[in-house]
Amino acid sequence: MSANKKMLTREINFTLNGSPVQVSVPVAENALIMLREELNLTGTKYGCGEGECGACSILMDGESVNACLMFAVDCDGREIVTVEGLAQDEVNDQLRDAFVEKGAVQCGFCSPGMMIAAKALLDKKPNANRDEIKRGLEGNICRCTGYVKIIDAVAAVSGTNQ
Amino acid sequence: MPTIEKESLIGKRVPKMDAPEKAAGRTRYVHDMNLPGQLIGKILRTDRIHAKILSMDTSAAEALPGVKAVITAKDMPAKMLGLNNDNPPLKGDKVRAERDEIAAVAAITEEIALEALKLIKVEYEDLPTLFDPRESEKEGAPHIQESKDSNVCMEFEYEHGDAAKAETEADFVIEDTFKLHYVTHACMGVSGVIADFDNITGNLTLHSNTQVPFLHKREFSEVLEMDPSRIRIIQPPIGGGFGSKLDIYPFEPIAVILAKKSRCPVKIVFTREEEFMASPTRQPAYINLRSGVKKDGTITSRVFDSLLDNGAYTSWGATIPFVMMQTASSFYRVTDCQYATKAVYTNNPTAGSFRGYGNLQATFAIEQHMDKMAEAVGMDPLEFRLKNAQEAGEVTGQGMHFKTCGFKECLSTAGEKSDFSRKFAENNANRGNGNPVKKGIGMASMLHVGGGAKIYPSDGCGTILKMDDFGHVTILTGASEIGQGSETVLSQLVCEELGVPLSAVTVVNNDTDITPWDVGVHASRTTFIGGNAAIGAAKLAKAKVLESASQVSNIPADQLDMRGGCIVRADDGEVIMQLGKLLRGMHFKDKAELVTTSFYYEPPSVHQDKGFKGDVSAAYAWATHVVEVEVDTETGIVTLDKVTAAHDVGRVLNEMSLEGQIEGGIIMGQGYALTEDLLVKEGRVITPNFRDYKMVTAPEIPEIDLSFIETQDGEGPQGAKGVGEAPSICMAAAVGNAIYNATGVRIYEAPYTPEKVYRALKGAVEAPSMAAE
Amino acid sequence: MSEIQNYETPNSVSEAADILAKGDVTILAGGTDLMVQVDAGRVEYKSTLMNIRRVEGLRGISDEGDHLRVGALTTITDLLESDLIAEHGTILTEAADAFASVQIRNAGTIGGNISNASPAGDTLVPLVVLNAEVELASKPNGSIVTRTIPIKDYFTGPGKTKKEDSELLVAVIIPKPAAGFVSTFDKFGSRPALDISTVSVGLGGVLKDGALTDVRVAFGAVAPVPLKATATEAATEGKKLDEATIDAIAATAKDEVNPIDDVRATAWYRKEMIESSMKKVLRHVSK
Repeated sequence: MSANKKMLTREINFTLNGSPVQVSVPVAENALIMLREELNLTGTKYGCGEGECGACSILMDGESVNACLMFAVDCDGREIVTVEGLAQDEVNDQLRDAFVEKGAVQCGFCSPGMMIAAKALLDKKPNANRDEIKRGLEGNICRCTGYVKIIDAVAAVSGTNQ
Repeated sequence: MPTIEKESLIGKRVPKMDAPEKAAGRTRYVHDMNLPGQLIGKILRTDRIHAKILSMDTSAAEALPGVKAVITAKDMPAKMLGLNNDNPPLKGDKVRAERDEIAAVAAITEEIALEALKLIKVEYEDLPTLFDPRESEKEGAPHIQESKDSNVCMEFEYEHGDAAKAETEADFVIEDTFKLHYVTHACMGVSGVIADFDNITGNLTLHSNTQVPFLHKREFSEVLEMDPSRIRIIQPPIGGGFGSKLDIYPFEPIAVILAKKSRCPVKIVFTREEEFMASPTRQPAYINLRSGVKKDGTITSRVFDSLLDNGAYTSWGATIPFVMMQTASSFYRVTDCQYATKAVYTNNPTAGSFRGYGNLQATFAIEQHMDKMAEAVGMDPLEFRLKNAQEAGEVTGQGMHFKTCGFKECLSTAGEKSDFSRKFAENNANRGNGNPVKKGIGMASMLHVGGGAKIYPSDGCGTILKMDDFGHVTILTGASEIGQGSETVLSQLVCEELGVPLSAVTVVNNDTDITPWDVGVHASRTTFIGGNAAIGAAKLAKAKVLESASQVSNIPADQLDMRGGCIVRADDGEVIMQLGKLLRGMHFKDKAELVTTSFYYEPPSVHQDKGFKGDVSAAYAWATHVVEVEVDTETGIVTLDKVTAAHDVGRVLNEMSLEGQIEGGIIMGQGYALTEDLLVKEGRVITPNFRDYKMVTAPEIPEIDLSFIETQDGEGPQGAKGVGEAPSICMAAAVGNAIYNATGVRIYEAPYTPEKVYRALKGAVEAPSMAAE
Repeated sequence: MSEIQNYETPNSVSEAADILAKGDVTILAGGTDLMVQVDAGRVEYKSTLMNIRRVEGLRGISDEGDHLRVGALTTITDLLESDLIAEHGTILTEAADAFASVQIRNAGTIGGNISNASPAGDTLVPLVVLNAEVELASKPNGSIVTRTIPIKDYFTGPGKTKKEDSELLVAVIIPKPAAGFVSTFDKFGSRPALDISTVSVGLGGVLKDGALTDVRVAFGAVAPVPLKATATEAATEGKKLDEATIDAIAATAKDEVNPIDDVRATAWYRKEMIESSMKKVLRHVSK
């Protein structure tokens, strides 16, 4: 995790979960640290720091990215949505309810990243079939569920049985 | 008057109570918590593998601004961690493994703490290393733990009958050596702890990821030389357990000593790389198995000899031979069995406890031998297993009493649903055709404890239950929620007794100052033991409530029931009064009574004797998995297409949670069989990331067909058995059998990664051997 | 960690080239490789960190008549979803589909994948097969100068290219292949995503009467750079692709590579997989 207090900082402005934010960040710090430690949004999780697990997935201008690989300064001028932001928007209640009702959550540590990956997928392919859902979740690792119920949850929203 | 029908939540698809806040990202794991004035702790690990520490100089680290404490072995109490008391939290004299902790720093930021670690100077003298457990055993091998007589850290021998004699009566004796690899839990939430030590009161509060809070508290008091009543363990929700949190690890006492020395709360959280390198692994194993079988398909004898790589320190996990032994002695009807396991010290990563607890390794060998024996006697593998399978009522040579046993139903259900025998024969016949992609089908079964396991002096769990003025129920239980869904199942069981809706129940299960004792989350015991404890407390509460209702209504208590948050007449469900109203009446009348009850459930299992005989669990779980694979003979890639699984679960309590546990276990077992391989080279983990340590991803999962066999165990809560570990156990063996069915090549070494399979198909893999090269 | 003194966010190629001309610059595009490499200690920041994400005109795929122009900031997702790429460079679409994960495809750029110069980089083999060129811009004397280098000659070793420190990779030029051109990419692996190539094979050529002409073959992860396999190309050129010929070509491919052992595979297995993968792509295009 690269952050250095002595490091050069930059003030950036962006939209976070629908509200404008102004924050000063070290230029080499990643967006995950900024979100978790500076902005206290701990829903986005650290799982590996290398973009291999998806626990830190966020939406950047509507597309899913790994916050751990994103330079915080690169958030400047963008629209960022975290799992907390999904929770603020009633449109996403259906997805969250599906995660609950279909048993997609066990330890819950991957759930925020899965929610973001699912949201990004459904925005692009509202009627995604099961194979498309699996590919849409390929960047998110879950150790508990074996994915079946997570796929069920997304499929419940996309309305597919295939 | 309105009436209420009895409604039951048992067997329903009840969503997990904690799921909404987890899916919303609101749950606070230890990683997400920060205490006022908290420092960040970082651990310095050795850059050697086996070496004497000649000197350490921490002065530059201490002088760095922002550093609040630097500790080395001399700051720690002299007590050791681990089952064999062989693991000092900080190593002072010598290091024995890559992960070894030699110093630690608490600083105001992570960067400063990391900077300080770089300033610590250490001088070493290297010692000869041991990376092969077969070498560790040898006379004259260097001692890894110098205070021990040899490198053998744990040794188990067991027998029933006379295996040597029985072997002479066999028509076929088959002998092979199997080799199992390193895997690790790779929980999505990395290890972490916050130690909050109050220098004025001497109180220590640990925000810990442990699965065993009460054993933890006891061991902490010993290791830290503290009064146990000054230690409080709070368990925030954890990002996965799977057995990884059964032991105390060095980072935890290190955090406490840093907190004591700095007089500030200290948080230590691992990086993913640290998690791969410094958290426990499953035991790598060599297993030599000799099986005798008669022409008619009767198994005569089983001789099981195994060698486990323990690493340099001993965790609870070193007791996995107990479980391996059960599979050797009691899984099938084996009249004569001889069993031995040694765990030896090496300079490799330290092995620990991991879901399945030795049973994946034992089952890998035994279930592949079942197929080899079936082939030797010319029987279909399913038919051969049915002939030798245990049945209800049997007491095994080791003393296990199978009061319920759905083994044969598991076999026949999975066999029929997958059309096993037909496909098995068809694939056999198709082996020689020109298609480079071969289809295979394989089966494997398992036996595991399903009603706790009496290893510790008590295998029990306590529950305190209280009802408030409005009919709301709070369950205070010692049983921890680790994501498996225990909160929800315990609530369902209590709702069943008290006739209240799930929304009227709260579970408190995360604070040793509040909850009653429990031995911990392990051995698939929480639903069974915690469930029985909760039912016990609820029954007491119900009796109190109905007694009071009887006085108010003048209806005998045994003619009353609790349903829908009301007191009703049992025979027709007519509502007598609201539960809340009755409770308020009990509370505010002259002899005011708050309804609180407590119950401690101890299962009717026994400690095994010196010969390891005895009925160690109150119930036993059974399962059969049939897997269908495709083997690409041009690449060695094995694709898992379908898993048909049948599990004896006693009774389904929560169908969705149960499916979730089984599916998750199957996929974890798929990883063990096919993709996960923690490579260790000269003591160093060379795959400490998700790129190279390949966990199964969503597109790789097979189609899964689950069946639950309900044997209604008389001891189980509402008839249920524990199943948390069962699904991961028999996957690797089943895949091994399926690869053989597809290709005619048996591979004795897991995991079945593409290169290994490809080499084996080319005849370029040597069979493993118990003897060192 | 060395210290970053300046953070720059140029808006144009010209501004970026000015900053590069001053020297000692780390270029940040998608960040997906840079963040990991710095954290792992494999890369140190130079005194200036230049974020080129705001540079205009560097993202997008355009049809320029006889070639496609792919801006350096074009993401892997852009490649995957582009009809132009699907039409003129199927092999690149296939490689984009096998690239890391959704999240990384959304952030990672083609310029970044090229600049990272990993022999296992997923877009590199297809670009070699497509005879792509990279366009580099610099400002040696106050005005923009560009040059192009064929991608097959661009890489000089793992992480090393012919790009000068003063140059910015601005685009990839992909000549439109002739009519009848077919191409395919095979990345060895057991899962669709999140895999680093153990080996990869790219094949392209004009298919007529069961034979390929203008054959192009490239291999990934078997040499210090993405390998243009000239011997294999020669063995394939103009031959009728029956099973015996396919086997012979695959044997040539196996002989042409000289890979290394690493944590993902042994050299022996990589050679075997080049052979197997070569057969697979030949069968695929000849169908």
